[in-house]
Amino acid sequence: MRGIDFILKRTAFALITVFVAVTINFVLFRALPGDAITNLSKVPGATPALRAELTKEFGLDKSKWAQYWVYLRKLTTGNLGVSYSTQEPVTTELWRAVGNTVPMVLLGTLFSIILGVITGVLAAWKRRTSLDYGSVGVALTFYSLPTHWLGLMLLLLTAGYLPRGGREDEFLFDPSFMAHWLDVGKHMLLPSLTLGLVLYGQYTLVTRSAMLETLGEDFILTARAKGLPDRTIVRRHAFRNAMLPVITLVALSVGYIVAGSILIETVFSWPGVGLLVSRSVERRDWPVLQGAFLLLTISVVFFNYVADLLYYEFDPRITT
Amino acid sequence: MHRTVRSTAVCAALILVAVGCSKSTPTADHSGSGVGSIVEGGVLRIGSSSNIDSLNPFKAFQQDAYNVFQYTYPYLVGWDTTNLTLVGDWATDWTWNADNTSVTFNVMTNGKWSDGQPLTAADAAYTLNLLIKYPGPTGLEGGYARHIVSAEAPDDGTLTIGYEAPVNEDWALSQFQQIPILPQHVWSKEEGDAGKGLRTFTNDAPIVSGGPFTLTKYSKDEFVQMDANPGYYGPKPHIEGWGLKFYTNADAMVSALQNGEIDDVESVPAAALANLKANPNLVVSEAPGIYFDDFIVNSNKPLHAELLDPKVREAFDSAIDRQSMVDTVLLGHGAPASTIVSPSTGHWHNSDIAPTPYDITHANDLLDTAGYPKGSDGIRTADGKPMTYEILTPSNVDGVDREFEIIQASFQQIGVKVTQKSLDPSAMFDLMAGANYDSYDNFDLALWDWYPLPDPDFILSVLTCQQYGFWSDTGYCNKEYDTLYNKQGLIVNPTERETVVWQMQQMIHDDRPYIIMMNRNVLEAHTSKWDGFVMSPIGSFTAYSKQTLLQVHQVG
Repeated sequence: MRGIDFILKRTAFALITVFVAVTINFVLFRALPGDAITNLSKVPGATPALRAELTKEFGLDKSKWAQYWVYLRKLTTGNLGVSYSTQEPVTTELWRAVGNTVPMVLLGTLFSIILGVITGVLAAWKRRTSLDYGSVGVALTFYSLPTHWLGLMLLLLTAGYLPRGGREDEFLFDPSFMAHWLDVGKHMLLPSLTLGLVLYGQYTLVTRSAMLETLGEDFILTARAKGLPDRTIVRRHAFRNAMLPVITLVALSVGYIVAGSILIETVFSWPGVGLLVSRSVERRDWPVLQGAFLLLTISVVFFNYVADLLYYEFDPRITT
Repeated sequence: MHRTVRSTAVCAALILVAVGCSKSTPTADHSGSGVGSIVEGGVLRIGSSSNIDSLNPFKAFQQDAYNVFQYTYPYLVGWDTTNLTLVGDWATDWTWNADNTSVTFNVMTNGKWSDGQPLTAADAAYTLNLLIKYPGPTGLEGGYARHIVSAEAPDDGTLTIGYEAPVNEDWALSQFQQIPILPQHVWSKEEGDAGKGLRTFTNDAPIVSGGPFTLTKYSKDEFVQMDANPGYYGPKPHIEGWGLKFYTNADAMVSALQNGEIDDVESVPAAALANLKANPNLVVSEAPGIYFDDFIVNSNKPLHAELLDPKVREAFDSAIDRQSMVDTVLLGHGAPASTIVSPSTGHWHNSDIAPTPYDITHANDLLDTAGYPKGSDGIRTADGKPMTYEILTPSNVDGVDREFEIIQASFQQIGVKVTQKSLDPSAMFDLMAGANYDSYDNFDLALWDWYPLPDPDFILSVLTCQQYGFWSDTGYCNKEYDTLYNKQGLIVNPTERETVVWQMQQMIHDDRPYIIMMNRNVLEAHTSKWDGFVMSPIGSFTAYSKQTLLQVHQVG
């Protein structure tokens, strides 16, 4: 019963969070100065008729309450509206961008998790050695670097070896299956590497901290007293017990994968969610912004929810 | 239009073409231009920092959408970039009636749409009648059909257009240059209820095309592929096709050119120019541009009333160090400017108006004489209040922060303190236009830039009262100026129109809603494997002429 109660509470909390986010998304973007009509009607030869047509077409001639009601009503059927600037369905725009973003960000996130956990474990295991100082120092340095600057530096360093931007070389007409995927991989390498390098520091620090705490526990002392080798202690006893905070961080990171990265996608001309959001802000494209932030909200809430459930499963303290 | 707007709206009109290729225009420079025989075939790979928002001409706003339309659809006329005149594109010739209320075009009858259907004058009449019939749904294209009351095609090769009143020929032709002719057999099925279908039709690839190229593949924010259209009415291009790859980072785009990933870039940052010039495999092109950077003085209800004083504006004008801006912001790739119509537009520019010399002493004298004394802190006062102003700057204009710093340093010497407020373009216009976009009472000064058209009509129009809430970023409203604006569009005699255009420039120069600071040069680069680019004040690849991609070729 206690378990069901926990799940129900968490589910209700997640649903309320999403609803509140939906409302905030609606209000937030309309609080920005400027609007899409002013932008779109700035064309030579623009007439009041064009402005009136656009206002009516986007439903902006209605009151804010009426617009909110229409927005909620459409949401119940999964309709996120139509982009002001491209006039494509927002779902079409979002899915296309998500499809581009997820592989690149996922690769970068996996890279950061693996590198961060390895360096974190090593730093804790070899505490107060040059390996500890070195790995933490390098991780912190990358974590502190401006993302776009690191991206530009990597572009400079790899000039002549890796593509400068985009998701693929569209001028490779009729490439073979292998040639195509090799090309896609080459294009993905730099943006994913940039993301991975910027993110891995947080995993290093969290893992190191959790490992140090675990390595100071009595059961580790017992294991040492039993004469177990260091590697076994670290791998079988310390590492597994130190993974709880890392699981939380991973769940949060996975939740943000669909958000992409505005800076990385801009530097590498990657047509993902980050770039879509950035352009939509410039154009005051409210439906796209609402859709993108709703997607992000649902993703983050969902993966937090999953993390809660995992905690319930793995951390006996919650159920006692 | 403003550079900022360029990314959101531009195109529809902007960019034109003007001035010519380097070989015939002494002001243009193609360093390292290769010489060799023409090799037929190949695909030209162009890098662009703009993009395409829609393939529907009634919905698109982005610059590259219009560049693509230029090569996809027939246009009655186009700009000859070598001498800045309008010449026939699909039309071979045209005749005006005696009172300039009607024009008859003869169009080529040898063309076919890419789906094999014949291209006839009936398509042109259909397109123009769409604009007349559905001014709302046809959006910005509808604005180009102003004053047109009828369009008829008595036969396949003849198009007759009627106007509600006599019109100026240059002005009218410049409007036709903006209107793509659409295939009637495709679009007539898409009109829907009261023309609303015209705005929902996606016009997906492959597009039925009548121009020299057919859009065969499109990936949003990534790529466009254009293949030669065998049914094109004009001379066949040398290339099999061309592609447009979109970059969101200009440095990466330039690097891609150096890497050989693309063959040509639309716009090169000035800072990258020296590197590119040193590369023997690249050809760098430079020409005086029609783009200009301006200092805006609120001319309606500024927060500080003394800014309406002509002497204050004159002092500001004298305190702007234009040459320093050209040297530091543009690294020398530009020139001090004087009027809203740039010298590269040719005869439209009022050459009697010279850039105001940088003269701090004169500026101080003007303010002293006008009764704005300096306080103990060195800052002047107006009606007892310090002359301290906020200058709005758009966050997306290259070099605008440096421009502000130069102005700030100079103004300090005349006892005027300025601070900077950087905003994104949309927020900035919102603040400037004020409540309901018509009050212009919430700012003092601003910096921005413009990308005008070759014909002066558009840039002159932005200062009319009717542009409140649309293009006006000064709040300037002068009935006398408006009268002249309306007059210049209807004057039949070209010389008389030029006189009025010069008069309007003088009026803006004297009233100073804008203080024009500098013209930016057009900077482009391509690999030496290619030649035939037709450079102009707005670049070689534009929405105003088919010249470049009909002439471009590989070098043998």
